[in-house]
Amino acid sequence: MLKIDNLVCGYGRMQVLENVSLEIGAESVGLFGPNGAGKSTLISATMGMIKPWKGSIEFNGESLLGKETYQMARLGIALVPQERELFPGMSVEDNLMLGAAYIPHAQAKSEQQIEKVFTLFPILKERRKQYAGTMSGGQQRMVAIARALMSDPKLLILDEPSLGLQPSIVAEVFDVLKELKKTVSILVTEQNVRESLKAIDRGCVLENGKIVLEDSADGLKTNPYVLKSYLGL
Amino acid sequence: MAHSKKAIPWIIAGAVGVIGIFLWKPTVLVYGVQRAGLYASIALPMSLTSGILHIVNLAHGELLMVSAYITYTLALLLGLDPLLALIPTMLVMAIVGFILYELTIRKALKGPELNQLILTFGIGIALSQIITLIYTNQTRKLHLDYVSASMTIGETSFGIWDFTFVALSILMTIGIRMFLSRTKLGKAAVAVGQNPKGASIVGIDVQKTYAMVFTISVVLVGIAGSFFLTRQSLFPSVGSPFTMKSFSLIAMAGVGSISGVLYCSLALGIAEAIINGIPHMSGWSDIVFFLIIIITIAVRAKKTRKI
Repeated sequence: MLKIDNLVCGYGRMQVLENVSLEIGAESVGLFGPNGAGKSTLISATMGMIKPWKGSIEFNGESLLGKETYQMARLGIALVPQERELFPGMSVEDNLMLGAAYIPHAQAKSEQQIEKVFTLFPILKERRKQYAGTMSGGQQRMVAIARALMSDPKLLILDEPSLGLQPSIVAEVFDVLKELKKTVSILVTEQNVRESLKAIDRGCVLENGKIVLEDSADGLKTNPYVLKSYLGL
Repeated sequence: MAHSKKAIPWIIAGAVGVIGIFLWKPTVLVYGVQRAGLYASIALPMSLTSGILHIVNLAHGELLMVSAYITYTLALLLGLDPLLALIPTMLVMAIVGFILYELTIRKALKGPELNQLILTFGIGIALSQIITLIYTNQTRKLHLDYVSASMTIGETSFGIWDFTFVALSILMTIGIRMFLSRTKLGKAAVAVGQNPKGASIVGIDVQKTYAMVFTISVVLVGIAGSFFLTRQSLFPSVGSPFTMKSFSLIAMAGVGSISGVLYCSLALGIAEAIINGIPHMSGWSDIVFFLIIIITIAVRAKKTRKI
């Protein structure tokens, strides 16, 4: 589905990613690594927010290079950004409906889609009239995930979904992801490896701009390097 | 709602004030409302750009002036009434707005705010100089019969043509609100105004939205310019005071508040008319205009600091 090949990318003159290759099929993939490893840069490049220096990114055989972010969204790639990027002065419901309104294949079924999303996050149904900007961080994260799902995506990308959330909500978010991976491909970057392992099929470890390790979720759980560096055992 | 409860004393104070002015000099009220209509119809398009593109367009008054000159030229060349020349003027202004956006504003949007200010300030100077080159500094005016229409109620008589500005400002407010709440482009514009990055993530073409909103705002100021011509004499610097006044109105109303512009124009228009109504005080009207704005902004800044 998504195929990133030998991607080299950075900001200004500073190179962040060194020949990163990553392929995602009909599965859920975790991308782990410390701050500054290049996780968010990889996502920004995929979404067309920064221009790659070298390499290629393809989505279902179509090159994404030179495309704008809104075109990625219309192709079926939905992003849940680290900073959530909601519309603070709009109600939850309006935020969600905007998730589908400008995606050609999702417009017509937005009513069914919102019902589906409300079953996943019942709290959002209760608060659908509340302004998104007045919600707590955890609820805003849920709105961001729900808004991404409204576009009926083929690939869902989440950038550090657990960042700044209390543990009980982190668990809830990953429970939802575990449910979602049955129907949609997922790429999730995380520092909370322990929680995310339950929602992924496969994981990669990105350090200093390079993928240093790639294994199945079960393989990562027993990998001595992951145990030591990411699970603190 | 707590908000509307707080407004009650203000509404009462406003009503008392209006009755007071009415008993003192009824024409002050008429001219105040007319002036408010003029200010609002010029400030509303600017409010749209500052609310959604988040730039202060310092060439706004000059765009008003340019559109008035375009209408003037069309009226002379084709012998059209300015209100008929309005339609081709809107077309020309749409082209002007789109080109301005694509060539200049688009590139400055990512830059620091100071660059945007300098850019639009420069555009304003360039526009007024171009008009000076073509039309010279000579004052120009169309003489229209219907403009001097007047009305007499009891013992007071007053011009009624300026009420068209009131109608124009109300129509613009309704139009802009309908555009933002009902149309697909308008809804996208609201989303882009609140969070451009979020808007691009949900599949909105942010650049196209910016271009369309800027163009629409230039067309709207073009409409105001055609009406402006019916009443005022034209000279190349006629628009520049309106940049300042529109900007101040928007700052007073709160950026992006469409109906706020209407209320603030009303308050300032009446305040100006009161000053003009006092003998030998008319020179003070601009001072009072800006003083009210300074006080409003200062009070609001103090309030927000407390929270």
